[in-house]
Amino acid sequence: MNKDLEQNIKAIISSFPAVGDILNEYKIGCTSCAAGTCRLKDIVEIHNLPAEEEEKLMGRIALAISPDGGLKVPKSGRKPAAAPGTLKYSPPLRRLVEEHLLIKRLLALLPRLAADLGSEEGAGLALSGLDFIRNYADKYHHAKEEEILFKYFDPDLEVIKTMLKDHAAGRGHVKGAAEALAAKDAAAAAAHLLAYRDLLSEHIKKEDEILYPWMDRNLSLNQVGELFGKFAEADSKFDPAAIARQEAFAADLEEKLADEAAAQA
Amino acid sequence: MEKKHSSHGGKHEPCGCPGAQTMDLREETAADAGPAGKAPSMLRQWPVQLHLVSPMAPYFQKADLVVAADCTAFAYGNFHAEFLKGRAAVIACPKLDDGQESYVEKLQSLIEDAKVNTLTVLTMEVPCCGGLLAMVQQAARNAKRKVPIKSIVVGIGGTIKSEEWA
Ligand SMILES: [Fe+2]
Ligand SMILES: [Fe+2]
Repeated sequence: MNKDLEQNIKAIISSFPAVGDILNEYKIGCTSCAAGTCRLKDIVEIHNLPAEEEEKLMGRIALAISPDGGLKVPKSGRKPAAAPGTLKYSPPLRRLVEEHLLIKRLLALLPRLAADLGSEEGAGLALSGLDFIRNYADKYHHAKEEEILFKYFDPDLEVIKTMLKDHAAGRGHVKGAAEALAAKDAAAAAAHLLAYRDLLSEHIKKEDEILYPWMDRNLSLNQVGELFGKFAEADSKFDPAAIARQEAFAADLEEKLADEAAAQA
Repeated sequence: MEKKHSSHGGKHEPCGCPGAQTMDLREETAADAGPAGKAPSMLRQWPVQLHLVSPMAPYFQKADLVVAADCTAFAYGNFHAEFLKGRAAVIACPKLDDGQESYVEKLQSLIEDAKVNTLTVLTMEVPCCGGLLAMVQQAARNAKRKVPIKSIVVGIGGTIKSEEWA
């Protein structure tokens, strides 16, 4: 089992498909993960199941890999998970989760933006949406993750590499959408906007539910204070009025698209 | 090892009372692991009482600061190893101490001038002890600088009742 714990999950699932089904039951979505390069050991650690659940999960995986029961499941050595609701996000990570809320509001509008790229007004709104993504989601939010938060963790960890790949793929869709809009290719622009929405929605969910809680469990109190200070310093380099404008933009766009939807109904 | 004395002139620094003289014990706590089976002291400073400390003392600079209600150190067996190790500390009783307005000012100065890195507030589960957290939160609201605050509640039976970011 120890050898299997060191293997990447894609290799394990391709040799033992039942392992994928078991993980799915525990809502650990490795079968649909594009990368699949995380090690089984890290996956189990990162998802932080209650000790009893983890033991059951690992027991079932051991049986799926070796039905004769020849595999031993090592006991988890980490601290038990905090009872739900007892330890929320630390202040610096809470700040990032709050930024996600605004980004998610914009993501929710992308399908409606994508549906009307033929008109000049629709294309203009989409360009403003791309501006929000570049400035708020990327320069303001992702930069804090990449340049500060992720630096506290081993850059070779698959989960960190996956997050960085997501950010890069997102930038690719933004660039693709902007180029398609410039070429008046509404269909291609719409495809990029929708792909960006899917990618980032999933990415934020992973951060909120799995990555950040795992990071919080691994950051020391001293590091939490340091992170908080570094985030404040990073934010101070932005014009607060510009950030407020981005926030207002998302709210205005919501209202505008809601009005349009109501008018069409 | 000789203790480092200093006479930082904080606002509330009393006269030459030895009980209030600032002492930096950080090097000693780092070196002294203590004999096996005995828990060594992790206190890195003197004084600790909030009226007596000077926020300008060097051991408060950028420290992770524990603000402990007096009784918590008696109730929680592993207080030194878990809460004092590597940290600066102040103690106070929100129920009985006089002059609590100056506590709020001093805590504000610890946030703004000493630029503490984090604040961990330890209180007992009894309701009247919650005043200490309220005092810290008031100081944090008054301060221009923001800092993470964690609240830990110790039970009379010596267990941790809750631990959360305030
Ligand atoms: Fe991210
Ligand atoms: Fe994020």
